[in-house]
Amino acid sequence: MQVDMTVNGQDRSADVEARTLLVYYLRDAVGLTGTNVGCDTSSCGACTVLLNGESVKSCTILAAQVRGADVTTIEGLADGTALHPMQQAFMECHGLQCGYCTPGMVLAATSLLADNPRPTEAEVREGLEGNLCRCTGYHNIVKAVLHTAEHDAAFWQARASKSGVTA
Amino acid sequence: MSVGGTPRRIDSEGKVTGVTEYPADRIPPDALVAKVVFTNQAHARLTSLDVRAAEVTPGVVAVFTAPDVPVNVYGLTLPDQPVFVGTSHTGRTDVPCDVSRWEADHLALVVAETAHAADQAAAAIVATWEPLPVLGDIDEAMAPGAPLLHPENGLGHNVYTTYNIRKGDMAAGWAAAAAVVEATYEVPYQEHAYLQPEAGMAYIDDHGRVTVEIAGQWTHEDREQIAHALDLPEDEIRVIYPAIGGAFGGREDTSLQIVLALAAWRLHQRGEHRPVGCVWSREESIVGHHKRHRGRIQARWGADAEGRITAVESEAWLDAGGYNYTSNKVLGNLHLGQGGPYEVPNAQVTSHAVYTNAVPGGAFRGFGGPQSAYVAECQMNKLAEALGLDPVEIRRRNVLRDGSIGITQTPMPDGVTIAQVVEACAAAASTPPPASPSEPFTPFATLGPAAGDLRRGRGFACAFKNVGFSFGFPERCEAEIVLHGAVGDDAPHGADLFHAGADVGQGAHTVFTQMAAEALGLPIERVHGHFSDTAITGDSGSASASRLTWMAGNAILGAAEEADKAWRNGDRPAVGKFRYVPPPTEALDPETGVCTPNFSYGYVAQAVELTVDTGTGHIRVDRVVSTHDVGRAINPDLVVAQIEGGVVQAHGYVLSEDLQVRDARIQTPRLSTYLIPGIGDGPTVIEPLILELADPIGPWGARGMAEMPMMTYAPAVVAALHDATGVWFDAFPLTPSRVLARLNESGRP
Ligand code: FES
Ligand code: FES
Repeated sequence: MQVDMTVNGQDRSADVEARTLLVYYLRDAVGLTGTNVGCDTSSCGACTVLLNGESVKSCTILAAQVRGADVTTIEGLADGTALHPMQQAFMECHGLQCGYCTPGMVLAATSLLADNPRPTEAEVREGLEGNLCRCTGYHNIVKAVLHTAEHDAAFWQARASKSGVTA
Repeated sequence: MSVGGTPRRIDSEGKVTGVTEYPADRIPPDALVAKVVFTNQAHARLTSLDVRAAEVTPGVVAVFTAPDVPVNVYGLTLPDQPVFVGTSHTGRTDVPCDVSRWEADHLALVVAETAHAADQAAAAIVATWEPLPVLGDIDEAMAPGAPLLHPENGLGHNVYTTYNIRKGDMAAGWAAAAAVVEATYEVPYQEHAYLQPEAGMAYIDDHGRVTVEIAGQWTHEDREQIAHALDLPEDEIRVIYPAIGGAFGGREDTSLQIVLALAAWRLHQRGEHRPVGCVWSREESIVGHHKRHRGRIQARWGADAEGRITAVESEAWLDAGGYNYTSNKVLGNLHLGQGGPYEVPNAQVTSHAVYTNAVPGGAFRGFGGPQSAYVAECQMNKLAEALGLDPVEIRRRNVLRDGSIGITQTPMPDGVTIAQVVEACAAAASTPPPASPSEPFTPFATLGPAAGDLRRGRGFACAFKNVGFSFGFPERCEAEIVLHGAVGDDAPHGADLFHAGADVGQGAHTVFTQMAAEALGLPIERVHGHFSDTAITGDSGSASASRLTWMAGNAILGAAEEADKAWRNGDRPAVGKFRYVPPPTEALDPETGVCTPNFSYGYVAQAVELTVDTGTGHIRVDRVVSTHDVGRAINPDLVVAQIEGGVVQAHGYVLSEDLQVRDARIQTPRLSTYLIPGIGDGPTVIEPLILELADPIGPWGARGMAEMPMMTYAPAVVAALHDATGVWFDAFPLTPSRVLARLNESGRP
């Protein structure tokens, strides 16, 4: 079946089987391989993308269910060559090792701060509960999220007010 | 300064933007899809195999089975495993290839146009099996009359490797003992659960080489194994590692390497030139690769009234599973660790590897060390309790020092620093954490524990672990540096570094680049690395044994010196190649174990504080001080990252990861049933404490460190749990139900 959606600001259309999961639509039909697959049971969050600005596990949803939606993958997060503050923070704080969880972590964290621009450490951990990392022990990931919340506060506040959420 | 600095990882931008390519990302849309068909038989003889229906399934290109493999056997340190189980094969091995000894033995590789066609064809394969008795664990495998899993080795039993240590006079040791502690310990499996499941592709490159792109830990060893099975010269095989999504020892042995190479090679012979790709599901990954060994250790230790060890008697059995993988090497490490990092005057230590039909045991961060460190440190803590000594004080009286003779009766390599590590850890643990304490993020049950159910305790443990290959295994590492500049230039303006070492996520390529920059006196941006491709890099040895920084650093220093000579000689570009070979090591003497086992060690101590809810069995680790002598931190941020990641991985091993195996079959092959720590599950506070006491032969004094956080966590947690409850736990993981059951059975607290 024909499935259309906007991916990273570009209109995409592909003929896929009705049972195609969003993650495989993105990886195979659109060719964006930054979204990773780490499990069969919606457990790991490596496949997290933003769907109309909210983070979702793209292995839990059919492409056909999100026709017409606006999807952001890790490839679409930077503004041209300028990295997104969350990407910068993960680089600076060593919030990654093998990097396989990183696209999902970065997007989940982005969605978290859009909802809550000044989270506590506990809120960060609660918000990222659905994303597994086997390498880092999570401390540097938490550090990265808290770092950008603090250092790019204006950016996140603007985000929050745009999406109508108050901190 | 490049060494000792904390530049950003050279791979970080690619990883935060999604540009980095893992093996599955490299598979082009026109690639053929391969599916590995497991035998699904823990122990059975294949009596017939019919793939005709599979071959004619629409969309199927080929079905490969045993007769397609020129030498149908492989194995990293002992070739004992058929590439495919088959009723017939090319005959060039003694290993009976018609027997499935593991549920994930390979039966066939289906290659098709689509995954759907491959699945259908796999289901159309008809195999008939003669069931054989399943040896579900070491007890069944060692029972009298148990069938032999590998009769070809001529041993007549399933215990296929045994090591000994016989030192001193045991009778005198027991006679001098004021306290003797004795227990039987059971250690569990651990699944690596690297986040990137196995994936790869194979094709014939422009030079006609059978090329495999995959995630592994040792490109050249993968190449050697492929060449062996395909019976081709090594230079006709090429192995490339794109980005690797974690490894932890789980990619030390091959997974898809040989079958993918076989498919591309055979298809090419038939005029089919498209690449062949394969991506495993998480379930295939967990069922289909080895685990940290489960096993049993019986230990009896004696100490005199001052707490000095007088005798260690210890015997271990590791469940090797159906095939050796690296079990014979893991066993050696475990063996050496059975006496702990202590002066042991009298020792009788025996270690066995046992074939069973369960999942093979193999490499996993620590490589046998965590199992024996758990036992040795529990024994030490029990001796301290029996003698009324402080756990740190008893270690002070026993630890190895410079000039000490190790348990294998040869001197320790210079630079023994465990005493300093123990003191530093104890001092740090006795003061409050430097940072303001975080609120615990692992709250107990929502309703809160019953009054009086929360108990707190502290525990301490220390260990040593070899850096580099042990026991005479050939050890070396190559590096090549090319300096660029014009003929009249005083100094080069840039350099290329060629190195095969695998960056499995630990940051090896960043560290190599830092070390090359330092050795050449160039800024790090001027050094361009070319990594992990057997076509352009020399053999580096594996990303294992905490060896890569240490070995690569020494190789890079040598290559830089050679390149500098060539530069001063006027060569442009100036090329320096170097093969570093460390001091030799020796195999254990079969009777006494006498040998020089290793050339370098890392030293670690951990202090743990925890709270246990005695009403539910839940444990929360409040604080761990993880103390490491790393010799020289080439990149301190990455050292800290290894400690934090290692501690949390150890936390899963000790507290939550519970691989269930029944009748030799894995029951928990999903991340929903095999529970690795999430972001809210680890210790509340991890305090990495780094000492830099140089290794005399380490590059810039560095020691390896990546496995060390894994070594001591189990015994430190168990000691803290004992401190809290008065109960010793001689088995783990310490899941709430186990803790509760043990507390109830012991009638305490
Ligand atoms: S792939 Fe694991 S949650 Fe989607
Ligand atoms: S960095 Fe490897 S899984 Fe997170």
